[in-house]
Amino acid sequence: MNVTCKNRGDILRKQEPAAMEALARHAESCAECARELHLWNAISQTARQMQKSWESPDLWPRIRQALAEQAHKLPEESRWNLARLWENFGRHWQTAAALLMLLALTASGGWLLWRGDETVPTTTQTPEAERRLLSDQAARKVEEAEAAYIRSIEELAKLAEPKLERSTSPLLASYREKLLMIDSAIAELRANIEQNRWNAHLRRELLSLYQDKQHTLETVLQER
Amino acid sequence: MLAENTLSWQPLAQEICLPRPEDAQPPLVKPTAVSEGSESHSADRALAEACKSGSLSAYERLYQTHGAKMKSIAHNLLGNANDAEDAVQEVFLKVHRSVKYFQGQSSFSTWIYRILINSCYDMMRKKKRRQEMPELDLEPEARPEPAVTSDHAMRLALEGYVANLAPNYRKVFLLAEVEGFSHAEIAEVMETTVTSSKNMLYQAKQRLRQMLLESGRVGRVGAP
Repeated sequence: MNVTCKNRGDILRKQEPAAMEALARHAESCAECARELHLWNAISQTARQMQKSWESPDLWPRIRQALAEQAHKLPEESRWNLARLWENFGRHWQTAAALLMLLALTASGGWLLWRGDETVPTTTQTPEAERRLLSDQAARKVEEAEAAYIRSIEELAKLAEPKLERSTSPLLASYREKLLMIDSAIAELRANIEQNRWNAHLRRELLSLYQDKQHTLETVLQER
Repeated sequence: MLAENTLSWQPLAQEICLPRPEDAQPPLVKPTAVSEGSESHSADRALAEACKSGSLSAYERLYQTHGAKMKSIAHNLLGNANDAEDAVQEVFLKVHRSVKYFQGQSSFSTWIYRILINSCYDMMRKKKRRQEMPELDLEPEARPEPAVTSDHAMRLALEGYVANLAPNYRKVFLLAEVEGFSHAEIAEVMETTVTSSKNMLYQAKQRLRQMLLESGRVGRVGAP
């Protein structure tokens, strides 16, 4: 491989071993390249001395303790989050469900009184159908509340989007990455919920992810 | 403010001595810093799964495998051992909180180093905001420093100049030249390409070379 002084920059940039060897051979007969190559290698040699090493006997115990505390705290936080979600987004459907129950009880009581001894329910299909109707209505209310919450998060995401896209800050890049991960986890959970609409655990997980997304977006918007 | 303070790392009257050719160490054969030794790809995945399960012993293994390198990178970014240890602890807590989102699109180790670098920049930003950077940089080192070598002055100068590099150049230089990461690993950590990583390293070394030459203190340039 023939190397001239003009190739030096390109070879140093690409760092291909064969080309580096050829450059070293060329430098044996070229003072300028020898000087440059030496300075280049000296920077690398000195950089290796920049590695820092020191004993930290108390660091792992400290980390272990912090991890244990966090592990203890996370379920509590998640319970708290769910409580807040329940409070903020569940209030309406709770009220609606309670009203429906009251209405259903009043109606059924009234109906029984009105029919008196005339008719006695002869099958178990009617209460069963009523229960199903109530459950369907309750689930629909939950889904409506969820949809409203998701819409508000999407609004928040729209606000944060220009900031996330424009910024070159590593912090915002990490938030962007976190949001991508949350979105992908949300998509996965939603697909599972499609298969099992009544699974309360999946719904709680989904709400917790949305909560996390909301918190992250709020942090992004607050970030200067 | 950062630039002013990092300049104080430079030796004042001492001539920076580059290693002579006869001092030269064998050329850098870069190991793959992240995946070296027994930390194979499958071990990396197994460690990620163990961490997802919340096992403290998995986190201890993570600390034993990567703790030293994490401390070194954090020290080179933050300038002192106490902050470096805080950053490492913070990374473990972040990993614990968000490992459930880790989907294995990159290796677990490079994901952790990405979190580390982002955390360090986050800490720097917070410190800067609180206008405590002078204390950060001039704070007497509470931990033992590495042994002073014959290239001590050159190392100190280089540390100061590296701190003045643009963030991406600084990261690539620290990962490649100080910690021995391969360009493939750097590309994963920084979410860029191998070519871009090589280009950034070249630019970083060009800037450092320029700064060393402009300082006028570079002596014993071992040109024949």
